[in-house]
Amino acid sequence: MKILIIEDEEGLLESIEEYFTEAGNICETANTYQSALTKVNVYRYDCILLDITLPGGNGLDILRSLKENNHPDGVLIISAKNSLDDRLEGLNLGADDYLVKPFHLSELKARVSAIIRRKTYNGSNQLIFNELTIDLLAKEVKVDGSPVKLTRKEYALLLYFIANKGKVVSKNAIAEHLWGDGIDMANNFDFIYSHIKNIRKKLVEAGCNDYIQASYGMGYKFTEQ
Amino acid sequence: MKLLAKYNRVNLITTIIVMLITGIIYYQAISWILTNQKDKDLNVEEQEIFNYVALNQHLPQTFKSDDQQITFTEAKPGSVTRQFINTVYFKKWDDENKKHRHRHKDNGEYESGRGLITAVNVGSKYYKIQIIESKVETEDLIRLIFTITIGVILLLLLILLITNRLILNRLWQPFYNIMKELRLFNIADNNSIPMLDINTDEFKELNSAVVDMAARAKHDYKDLKTFTENASHELLTPIAVINSKLDTLIQTENFSERQSKILNDLYGAVSRLNRLNQSLLLLVKIENKLLHEKQQINLRELVEDMIAQFDEIFQDKNLKLTYTLQDKEIYASRYLTEILLSNLISNAIRHNYNGGEIIIDLKDDLLTIKNTGDNEPLPDKKIFTRFHKSSNSEGSGLGLTISQQICENFNSSLRYSYLDGYHTFTVNLSSVYPSIFVTLAKK
Repeated sequence: MKILIIEDEEGLLESIEEYFTEAGNICETANTYQSALTKVNVYRYDCILLDITLPGGNGLDILRSLKENNHPDGVLIISAKNSLDDRLEGLNLGADDYLVKPFHLSELKARVSAIIRRKTYNGSNQLIFNELTIDLLAKEVKVDGSPVKLTRKEYALLLYFIANKGKVVSKNAIAEHLWGDGIDMANNFDFIYSHIKNIRKKLVEAGCNDYIQASYGMGYKFTEQ
Repeated sequence: MKLLAKYNRVNLITTIIVMLITGIIYYQAISWILTNQKDKDLNVEEQEIFNYVALNQHLPQTFKSDDQQITFTEAKPGSVTRQFINTVYFKKWDDENKKHRHRHKDNGEYESGRGLITAVNVGSKYYKIQIIESKVETEDLIRLIFTITIGVILLLLLILLITNRLILNRLWQPFYNIMKELRLFNIADNNSIPMLDINTDEFKELNSAVVDMAARAKHDYKDLKTFTENASHELLTPIAVINSKLDTLIQTENFSERQSKILNDLYGAVSRLNRLNQSLLLLVKIENKLLHEKQQINLRELVEDMIAQFDEIFQDKNLKLTYTLQDKEIYASRYLTEILLSNLISNAIRHNYNGGEIIIDLKDDLLTIKNTGDNEPLPDKKIFTRFHKSSNSEGSGLGLTISQQICENFNSSLRYSYLDGYHTFTVNLSSVYPSIFVTLAKK
């Protein structure tokens, strides 16, 4: 995966770059309008993370330029502006998704993975991870060919974990992903524990390896080890 | 007391006092003039007697007269000093009059009179003369003056009343118009107070002062809101950085139990900070009516979705949920409706005890969310104010404020009540437009 991160806030840029850099991924960064425009005009990316407020210009103009040149890059807008008008304008201009700051890196990763999956759609619609096969259209999960019945939230959580495999995902990020921002049950994430226990039980009973590990009481990690 | 009534009262009292004083002066003046006239008559009469006595050397015969009585009495020489006196005049009734005035025991009545006491020498004899004339005409005159005075007072009263009704009300009309505008004034909306067409200088001045003040208040309020919005916006970036740094930090692993506890607390605090900030931004947006997108919503379906969304949390707290939902269509912002429902339901969860109960009802234009919780009612007025929350609450303290604002935005109302251990929040949906057609029709 080749990803371009356009963000002027140095601290955020670094974190995103670090989180996305892993085997098989190439991350490039731009922190001004000009440097971003130069990069998107020269190179092609699987996904571009685009901040709207940039020194020297508006991120939406970069999006416009991309679309005028018919570049197929996936675009995810990351913006501090949570107004519907901005969101609609961004999506109308051809952005694939819109994420409001502040966000969890795991959420960003999940969204980027979804965009790239859609872009590189190869007819199979399947996400395969060792013995796990996930049919993204039918929303079905199979372990070695035999189906596992997961609830809607369990399914979403599994996808979230796979998108963030090898990373520790915090309980906060999980809660916000599954129950939305509105969920302010902070300091009480017991229900996440029982939720994850259920998924692990279902997968293991179906003959899958137990990939989900608790990590220091802060979160969970989906890993092969 | 109305200004008009106050003005009238002062006016009336002054008028009456002035009229009374005028009356007294009239009375005094006229009675002085008339008494003088009488005294002149008496002098003439006296002179006639003197002339008669000088000519005839005996006293004149006294005749019975309607308005004059003359009596002669013998007196010690030199004992009488000439003087005018106020006295009574005894009037005998005619036979005809007597029938009507039988209530009087005497066969006559006393009238006030004016008298002259003087003396005359007839030969060697010294006589005291008392001439008394009735003053009844004078009194009639005074009575007439009094009646006229009262009449004028009454007439004035009547005229004042009519003037006030007709003219003063009209004169004050601009004032009432300005008052009406002031009452309609809302600092948060976009309507400003118009310059009214007034031709009274004072009211014109008042109106322009009010218009200026309203514009200034609006401007300041807008500034304040812009500040809140900007401050919240500026906070977003640092929060985003903290959040991402935390996410990065936990990837480094190998934490001691103590470190992971601290990290957990940090996560909790950042997410609270974030929610608080989002809530402030949302409030500004609702108050600014920046969320316009409305759509047809089946409230029953939305509530069912919400309940499903909260399912795990109900189970986690062993809450017993019962709900009866009727179909209800509303035309409103889906985003706001979701926030409203989510706020009310999460409140019902948060302030509940383990194993408690939640009852959600949607029928007859009323959405009620009932929950068990503390065994005492919440302070009705305070709960909707910003940052009011119970001491053990983990919420932002803005949830109910936002909910109420959303309800207001929907033209609806949010009420709290407490009965038998159940805390109930009721949203009245009767005035929420059921569809776009109704909205357009109402416009």
